[in-house]
Amino acid sequence: MTAASTPAVPTRAWHLARPGRLLRLELRRNPMLWMVPLLAALFWYGVYRPCLANPPLWVLRAATIQSHALLIFAPLLAGVAAWTGSREGRRHTVDLVSITALPRWAAQLAAWAATAAWAEAVYLGGTAVVYGITAHQATWGGPLWWPIAVGAVGVAAACAVGYAAGALLPGRFTAPLAAVLVFVALGAGAIWIEHNGSYAQIWPLNVQGPFPDDSYGVFYPFLPDLAIAQLMLLGGVMAAALGALGLASARGGRWLRGLAAWLTVAGVAAAAAAIGLAGTARVEAHGIVIPALHDAASDRPVSYTPVCARSAVPVCLQPAYAAMLPDVTATLGPVLDEITGVPGAPVRVTQVAVTSMQAHEPGNGIAFGGPVLSGHPVTLLLPLSGLTLAGEGNTTAAQFSQQLRTQDAAILDALVGLASPVGPQSGSSGAVIVPADLSPGAAAQHAIVSAMAKVAGLELGEDQIGRQSAGQRGTGPPPGPQAGSPSSASRLAAAERFAALPAAARHAWLVTHLAALRAGRVTLSEIP
Amino acid sequence: MTAIGISQPAPGAAVGQRVRPARRRGPGLRLARLYLVSRRVLTCLLVLAAAGIALRIALHWLPRTGVAARQLPLTIEAGAAAAIGVTTRSPFGEPEDTAGPWVRWLRLAVSLALAGAAFGALAAGAAGQHLADGTLGLLRDLGGFTGLALLTAALIGGGLAWIGPLAYVAVTLPALDGPWATPWTWAARPPHDRGAAICAGLVFASGLALLTARGARAPDSALETALRVYPSFRARTDYGYPAVCRAVCRPRPSSFRNSRNCRRRKLSRPE
Repeated sequence: MTAASTPAVPTRAWHLARPGRLLRLELRRNPMLWMVPLLAALFWYGVYRPCLANPPLWVLRAATIQSHALLIFAPLLAGVAAWTGSREGRRHTVDLVSITALPRWAAQLAAWAATAAWAEAVYLGGTAVVYGITAHQATWGGPLWWPIAVGAVGVAAACAVGYAAGALLPGRFTAPLAAVLVFVALGAGAIWIEHNGSYAQIWPLNVQGPFPDDSYGVFYPFLPDLAIAQLMLLGGVMAAALGALGLASARGGRWLRGLAAWLTVAGVAAAAAAIGLAGTARVEAHGIVIPALHDAASDRPVSYTPVCARSAVPVCLQPAYAAMLPDVTATLGPVLDEITGVPGAPVRVTQVAVTSMQAHEPGNGIAFGGPVLSGHPVTLLLPLSGLTLAGEGNTTAAQFSQQLRTQDAAILDALVGLASPVGPQSGSSGAVIVPADLSPGAAAQHAIVSAMAKVAGLELGEDQIGRQSAGQRGTGPPPGPQAGSPSSASRLAAAERFAALPAAARHAWLVTHLAALRAGRVTLSEIP
Repeated sequence: MTAIGISQPAPGAAVGQRVRPARRRGPGLRLARLYLVSRRVLTCLLVLAAAGIALRIALHWLPRTGVAARQLPLTIEAGAAAAIGVTTRSPFGEPEDTAGPWVRWLRLAVSLALAGAAFGALAAGAAGQHLADGTLGLLRDLGGFTGLALLTAALIGGGLAWIGPLAYVAVTLPALDGPWATPWTWAARPPHDRGAAICAGLVFASGLALLTARGARAPDSALETALRVYPSFRARTDYGYPAVCRAVCRPRPSSFRNSRNCRRRKLSRPE
């Protein structure tokens, strides 16, 4: 057989077939293929298990996938991609492969695409498994795609950065250094975000800034502003890294180098724009808002039909929290039973998003308000955001109930008029400021709260009275009123007296005197 | 053509130019020098020094408590161990082992020396700063990471030795803020945990022993092993049969020759 007898291949088909065949070859021979079992094991260990340890809320699991998968995958992917990219350099075959008909850049892009494809297969396959299980377990809502998209682009970007490092600086140390540098960069982001509340929000592991994972995307739509900026950053980094490969390739012609230069500049510009946009981010009640990317439609609340428990005072929760309804009802029940029928007492408990929120400067921390009595007839607006839910991490149902008991105290505070809208933990120090010497009216309010808490089975210290949502995140241990203050002993005595009364007598006294008690016109001596 | 006369000067060589005899050095010293050069030990020392500087910079900015205070130093320690692991890669592969018994002692000595240098560099970087686990914890974690790197080098190849310590760091991250008690997550245990120290020491000793005895695995033999372990993969992948494997695995194992894929190819191939 001679070259003259070689069948002619149509030029256009040949041009289209070459990259596809190259990609197929790279897919079969890529080192990432051998990493798939390790990556799958790491996904199971570092993403799947933590996801399923959380309650079946879509937002909780989506946030876990984005942050955990990127932290675990990105360094290893960068290392393996660097190993792939340095293949020709390590084997001293750069000159050999540079004389092939296909531009070098195209061959490198095919190798990167194969590397990224295997990594994406593991990431997206694992995500599909987690989402499939969540679809069976979740009682409300649907999958969130923005965090998944950030993770997917982050995976591709890690491969691009690693591949570019390997191709441009081939050597035995390139792969480990690329992996460690990506690891350190991701770790350093956590420190950066501690010191800077605005630009650092762009950190790819950051889902919604300082918000706990269950405090957004349930009552209001998930705000995609930050995710869009992160996609811009990661996409820009990926484009710049791949463009730099084309710039470094000696062959390919002017137009190919021009394309590579354009891609590099566009990538750098996109990344810079994303960081600039993150600098304008502000923490609002339902997530991070970037004005230039914000869609006003995201501010409308999500409609839902609450699930309610049949009790004397109905307790209604958002359907995503339906599994926690028995715990919430059982924990709030004793206090609600104690105050049922009292004027100003709630006739219904409704879960709400966030009653109030205060950001701590320099922007890395927020405090949520506690329950609020509102409306006519009075409804208790109960936010569960900020509490560690049962099943979240290692939190047991008993620990969740323990946190809710602090809400009981807040309900009593609100009933007797001790609570403030934002809660006493507001302030940069997070400390509760309780005067050592209470006014006579406030002392009576404290005594009544102590007594009713004792009757309801709550073991509240003096420091937990008058403190709203004390058990929530981001609050430090507050100093209570000084034990040696002149009114302390008399307060305790009044509380003991009131708790010792029969239930009917207590109820009757509250019905008659609650208005005066709330106005601060009742003194300790007037408590029976 | 014979070898006769090969030791004679070339006909074109300048007459009267004296051929300087090669200076005789101690063969052991020369072997050691060539070994160090072939392993890029100098570059490794530079990487270790850079790791010490990086640790110092990180400790300056890190908070004194919390997960980040432990995570970043651990990552840098794993990076130093990974650098030690990739120095074990031999450019000559298995033929090097036939050169003599001294190579394995060189492997042992160089690995120990680099581990010591890594500890020195990182301890110097942490001097005067607050390292969450202290110098004892640094010694334990670095020893364990280095053992993992050496084990990985012996099992899958020196070039990929970094995978072991870095994958282990990824596994350890959830343990840093979780109630983990197993000593095998030694990096997440307190510095005075005896079980964790024993586990890290065992890993270091076994990595060092395996690398000393067998050396870093050559990449081609790793592929051959993988294909031996997964014969079904080998049978499926031909047309298939990777070109690199054709070069490495010749003659093809009987399992492949008898495989259905191979028979099909024979049948379909025109005589």
